[in-house]
Amino acid sequence: MKQITLLALLIISVLVGTSQTNNLPPVDKSPMDMCYYPGNYPVLKIQDKITEPAVARVIYSRPQKNGRLIFGELVEYGKVWRLGANEATEIEFFKAVKIGDKKVEKGRYTLYAIPMESSWTIILNKDNDTWGAFKYDEQKDVLRTTVPVQKLNEAVEALAMTFEKSDSGCNLIIAWDNIKASLPISLK
Amino acid sequence: MTKLACTFFLCCFLFIACTNGNEKNRDQTEKKPDTAIVHTPPANPYAPIDISPMDMSYFPVNYSQLKMTHDLTTPPVMRVIYSRPHRQGRTIFGNLLKYGERWRLGANEASEIEFFQNVTIQDKKVNAGRYVIYCIPYQDKWTIVLNNDLYSWGLKIDSTKDLVQFEIPIKKTTVDFEYFTMVFQPITHGAELVMAWDDTEGRLPINFQETR
Repeated sequence: MKQITLLALLIISVLVGTSQTNNLPPVDKSPMDMCYYPGNYPVLKIQDKITEPAVARVIYSRPQKNGRLIFGELVEYGKVWRLGANEATEIEFFKAVKIGDKKVEKGRYTLYAIPMESSWTIILNKDNDTWGAFKYDEQKDVLRTTVPVQKLNEAVEALAMTFEKSDSGCNLIIAWDNIKASLPISLK
Repeated sequence: MTKLACTFFLCCFLFIACTNGNEKNRDQTEKKPDTAIVHTPPANPYAPIDISPMDMSYFPVNYSQLKMTHDLTTPPVMRVIYSRPHRQGRTIFGNLLKYGERWRLGANEASEIEFFQNVTIQDKKVNAGRYVIYCIPYQDKWTIVLNNDLYSWGLKIDSTKDLVQFEIPIKKTTVDFEYFTMVFQPITHGAELVMAWDDTEGRLPINFQETR
């Protein structure tokens, strides 16, 4: 009897041990990604091809369309959307910039959007290191700006963000499904 | 007699069917949860999905999720941002990663650790701030290095910008890790940064003042 108890304890401890090691995080189904302005900054850096210092970077997770209709359906019009998945999407400015007419200080911000059919309101909020938009607090907004959206002919499967150069600085391009929005960021 | 033969064949059939079923079940249960099949993600005109996806770990563990359910008043202590290469049947240590050579502890962008408060690692004070973190693996230990060359790509590490380095012991893991994994686990007066891949893991103990 004693032996059986010992054996059982041994088996349980082995099982518990295994599950703890397995407890480390699996790869996420909405993988995280990062983009910089200037684009590919880290690669340019090791190639000694940098012409201007890093201005901004976005860290976001990339949900997939998976055959679903996204805007107006999965992401409802008029509601705050976390512009990503999992951890709240983060934008960091390495120097002060201007969005619309408003100066935005250097630092980290959480990025949200309120999508409508023909425009999106983009929100910069100062409650960082949070998850999604579940605890979104308007009081902590730094700015809101509304940008038009553009319809795409071809659907984008995974939410994508990238910076492109513009006359006054750069635009943050956000695209998912058949919608593309562009947030102008002025460096002047 | 025919009845007996029929029963016998039926039994055989059932037995084979059942064993096949078990075989399938076993295959499924033995598949490690950390193992993913490599597939090519669909093309994306703006930013393709990376084969080594990025990930992020906080301490306190799951800080951002905790923030949803609790009124957290203290900021996080630290976080690490890294990309997760997968093993894909290769032997990692001493093969893909050569002993004595710098390894970026990830893939793509250099892995980044940020301390939101001052911490102490192996009796050395490390100021709050953001650092590149990399490793020099050896057969029996790892050297973990904090470096100031931020926003870089992991393949070229500028060691003139090394800030401080630490030696840590390593051990064999009980399960194999398909994807490189970094996560914090609490210890007395701090947390360990656990770094695991293939059959090896290293743990960097980080001490800090608890502010609760």
